[in-house]
Amino acid sequence: MSDPQLKEQVEQAIAGNPVLLFMKGTPEMPRCGFSMRVVQVLDSLGAEYGAIDVLPALEPLREVTGEISDWRTFPQLYVNGELLGGADIVEEMFESGELSEQLGLPQPDDAAPAPAQDGQGPPIQIEN
Amino acid sequence: MADLTEVKQLIERALPGAEVEVADETGTADHLRATVRAPQFAGLSRLDQHRLVKSAVQERMDDGSIHALSLRTTALEEATT
Repeated sequence: MSDPQLKEQVEQAIAGNPVLLFMKGTPEMPRCGFSMRVVQVLDSLGAEYGAIDVLPALEPLREVTGEISDWRTFPQLYVNGELLGGADIVEEMFESGELSEQLGLPQPDDAAPAPAQDGQGPPIQIEN
Repeated sequence: MADLTEVKQLIERALPGAEVEVADETGTADHLRATVRAPQFAGLSRLDQHRLVKSAVQERMDDGSIHALSLRTTALEEATT
């Protein structure tokens, strides 16, 4: 059973942010490779998004997102109130152009993120 | 540290007929990558495909033997012709 107050806060955050990322660490300093990959995808699209660092309340937030979205791992990207997915799904949707479409943003010419184009850190791992 | 063979079997048992590959991404057998092609995925969103695989190995995520599981899922088409 999750903390009702926390759950309400999370629901309000999801409702109040068209694009919201629950992640480990911050966009400036991700603390997990998967979270970093989603940040890099969003940044390469020039998306505006809110970010919540889950590390200070990891287990309670797992409970809450498990109840809200049946998803207990982080990162989690929400767009217009709906869970889009974790790092794997976000990357797949980025590569296919679905993500830019969902966000109403132009797809970069090279869907595979350029390696550290602006010195923004290491490239996203694309597995095949 | 997870037993890769067991993880593969857990997924195959939950999704009969699936083609499953499980790889160790870091050499420490706790960051895994699974590629799953399953007939049960047909018509499901990626989210639901991932939910099916994750619930198959939930016990190994909960007990900490799997720290991270990277997934690539595809619906396995029934062979036609």
